[in-house]
Amino acid sequence: MSDSGSEKAVIRLQVNGRELEGVAEPRRLLSDFIRHDLGMTGTHVGCEHGVCGACTILLDGDAVRSCLMFAVQAEGSVITTIEGLGQTRDDMDVIQRAFWESHGLQCGFCTPGMVLATKDLLERTPMPTDDQIREGLAGNMCRCTGYVFIVKAVKAAAEELNARASVDG
Amino acid sequence: MVSSVRPRLFGARVARVEDPRFLMGRAKYVDDITLPGMIHATFVRSPFAHAEITSINVADALNVKGVIGVRTGRDLEGVVKPIRCDPVPIHPTWQTSAADAIATARVRYVGEAVAMVLAEDRYIAEDGAALVEIDYDPLEAVSTIDKAISADAPLLHDGWRDNVILKTSVSGGDVDSAFAEADGIIKMKVRTNRHAAIPLETRGTVASYDPAEELLTFWTATQAPHIVRTGIADHLGMPEHRIRVISPDVGGGFGVKAHLYPEDLALAAIAVELARPIKWIEDRREHFLASTHSREHVYDMEVAYRADGLILGMKSHIYVDCGAYSVYPWTAGMEQGMAMRILPGPYRIRNFEAQAWGVVTNKSTLGPYRGVARPSACFAIERAMDRVAHAVNGDPVDVRMLNLVDGSEFPYESITGLTYDSGSFKESLQKVRENIDYDEFRLIQRDARAEGRLLGIGVACFTEQTAHTTTEFVKRAAPIIPANETVAIRMDPSGKVTVHTGAHSHGQSHETTIGQIVADKLTIPLKDVRVLFGDTQTTPYGTGTLASRTAVLSGGAAMQASGQIGERLKILGAHILEASVEDVELEEGQVRIKGAPEQNIEVAQLARFVYHRAEKLPPGFDPYLEATGAYDAFPGSGTFANASQMAIVEVDPETGGVTILRYVVVEDCGPMINPTVVEGQVQGGIAQGIGGALYEELIYDDEGQLLTTTFLDYLVPSTMEVPGIEVGHLETPSPFTIGGMKGAGEGGAIAPGAVIAAAVENAIGIANGVFVDEVPLTPERVRKLVVAAAQVRGSDR
Repeated sequence: MSDSGSEKAVIRLQVNGRELEGVAEPRRLLSDFIRHDLGMTGTHVGCEHGVCGACTILLDGDAVRSCLMFAVQAEGSVITTIEGLGQTRDDMDVIQRAFWESHGLQCGFCTPGMVLATKDLLERTPMPTDDQIREGLAGNMCRCTGYVFIVKAVKAAAEELNARASVDG
Repeated sequence: MVSSVRPRLFGARVARVEDPRFLMGRAKYVDDITLPGMIHATFVRSPFAHAEITSINVADALNVKGVIGVRTGRDLEGVVKPIRCDPVPIHPTWQTSAADAIATARVRYVGEAVAMVLAEDRYIAEDGAALVEIDYDPLEAVSTIDKAISADAPLLHDGWRDNVILKTSVSGGDVDSAFAEADGIIKMKVRTNRHAAIPLETRGTVASYDPAEELLTFWTATQAPHIVRTGIADHLGMPEHRIRVISPDVGGGFGVKAHLYPEDLALAAIAVELARPIKWIEDRREHFLASTHSREHVYDMEVAYRADGLILGMKSHIYVDCGAYSVYPWTAGMEQGMAMRILPGPYRIRNFEAQAWGVVTNKSTLGPYRGVARPSACFAIERAMDRVAHAVNGDPVDVRMLNLVDGSEFPYESITGLTYDSGSFKESLQKVRENIDYDEFRLIQRDARAEGRLLGIGVACFTEQTAHTTTEFVKRAAPIIPANETVAIRMDPSGKVTVHTGAHSHGQSHETTIGQIVADKLTIPLKDVRVLFGDTQTTPYGTGTLASRTAVLSGGAAMQASGQIGERLKILGAHILEASVEDVELEEGQVRIKGAPEQNIEVAQLARFVYHRAEKLPPGFDPYLEATGAYDAFPGSGTFANASQMAIVEVDPETGGVTILRYVVVEDCGPMINPTVVEGQVQGGIAQGIGGALYEELIYDDEGQLLTTTFLDYLVPSTMEVPGIEVGHLETPSPFTIGGMKGAGEGGAIAPGAVIAAAVENAIGIANGVFVDEVPLTPERVRKLVVAAAQVRGSDR
């Protein structure tokens, strides 16, 4: 018998605020680890070569493509997936709600990656122009919407977040 | 007439009810399903376009720890019938092909499945797949239409006369006289290159067989779960009541998931054999190689015109590249039939003849993709319009206006036998012309030219057959006639409603729009209606969501079924209120006395009585609130939506790059259930059309190798390529459908190739005799056009 897999490694990381531990071969993709080992299937896989952006997660605060990383590389990191955002209708994130209200999704497959990429974008650029929104989301493919209502949703989310910030401030 | 106090939901911009699960990451796509004891499959695929399989050695693969088994085509012989999808009745020119679930003796495209490896996980399955040794005797590949129809072409299928799977024709009027009377005749040849739907979720399946129940449960990413069930049953010889197909959330379809695939049959058969759940998720490379492709057409045309730009007659030879096999259940004739018959488009062309050849090549099989043939046919006729406008020195909009079917002519019988039921062909063109400030743009364009900037404007008009059913598909000789859609509705004791549709929703928003229809009919809130689909065990039989049919057909069926429940509520309410049925009405969730709304009873109360208080029911009142509606939009020739689209582009003469500065559309899909949803469909369709116009092309080399198998080679438009799209509406009701509704799903995708081609041509300068005759307009092709235009000008650029 040949055994092409190699020694599994223990991976400890924080996902959506919870300390988790898993075991994976060095070759296991982070996207597969999150989806099939941690059971968080909101992160989607559309191409497995780092172009479509469906697998976007936040890793130590940055938007990254989880299909371009091995699970072992995420050891010790802090990850946010879509399940780390609002999980009831009442506690939806501003971005989730803006996508809902602007019809920023159709089949929903790109949506988790799109929402997390937006979160990253708005943290870096709180009041983006349309061009900045388009540049910021250029790495996230959507085949359904034509992006028009996605851009609208991101703009609405930015305005809402800024309005809240000015009230708080 | 008493008007309802409660605002109607039909026509309202209601936020989608399905969105929260997608936004929270709680949707369930097929790869999100995990079953106890589940194993994983991967396919070994042919590296050759055309070859005989001489031997397969699986010993090394079986030696990999964790590999459970390997199956080849030989293992399925006698278990699975090959897919032979012939028209009914068979056309005299038709030739039959047979696609094995897994190839047995011969492969006919790169990516055809040759073996399946089963393992404990996908990584190990792929390790095993790498060790399956297959020997091939390569055969000469047929990689182009030209080669397929050449005299000495190798034949793909044994026993065939040639590589033409189907030859058809249509004609009408007096073409010879029209050409004799013409002021001019244009000969032209245009082509649209092969591209595909490319949903973001690939195909995938979890197949599980329970030998105790003798039940195969088949979760699969399909638009048409009932068709897949029938396909499995017919090819495996299993009864349909022992097969349950579940199509859960599906990450986009656009046609490529609207049929049966060979892999479906292999997975079903091996799941039954092993009685263990098997998961297979197509990877992106496999999707490019082995999912269906579309739109590879050549049009060889002659157009006879009058000096004012009126088209007098047209002759056309159409060639469609059908790939290797005939797709179930649509057949390989699906694109050529549509291309031939819709070629005149929205224009009044009364002398017409077309011949169409469907040819087989060593490439992935032709299947449906949003717009089915119409993007190519629209490209051809619109290229002809621009050529005619140029020839008569006319304005492209004016020449189109001259040729469009007038509103007074509906219902209009086209020369190819299509019945255009209603429309706003001229109105939409006029409105889009105004919305884009056409006359103003001509001044801007002139000023830009003076600065050396190449701006151009393009226009295209189309009409789109939607919600076509029996008569149309009988005419097409379809082996399975997609007739009615059926909807079953049940009101429970709390007065809430569950709607089961045999169609599907994977982005189309049917949970919302069908809900809007039912809520309106029963005068209850939208939140009291739940729309379910995608499970053959619980939904009525349906063809599925494709061909822009669901809003019209499932929507119409839902209206009928909920109307029946409403009538029964009125009978019961009248009985309780001691009134006659004629004297009560259903309003605001109550049955009440007309003119005396204070005398009423709540729907929820009536529902409770039906199930729990039988003594309150009138004699003979059956104690349930269920109804089924079926709707086929008789006469079934379809209802025709229409639109006009315009774009302004800038061409960079140095790089050949094209930037879309504005994209404006005025569409007419009849009365809209939800205008926001329609706009989303239109914008999404246009984005796909822009892909086919500028970026997307499945390129095969001479040996039949697909060169575009990643998103780095096959370019899907991103936020940077799709502009803001301005959508205007007209709402011309259909005389043929309930509520006057027309389909809206595909339309956006039809015109962009024609629009962008015209705009690029306009930017480069048609006056120089440079014509765009091919899409996508890649930088390389645009640069060649720029150079050609410069040569004509005698410029030294």
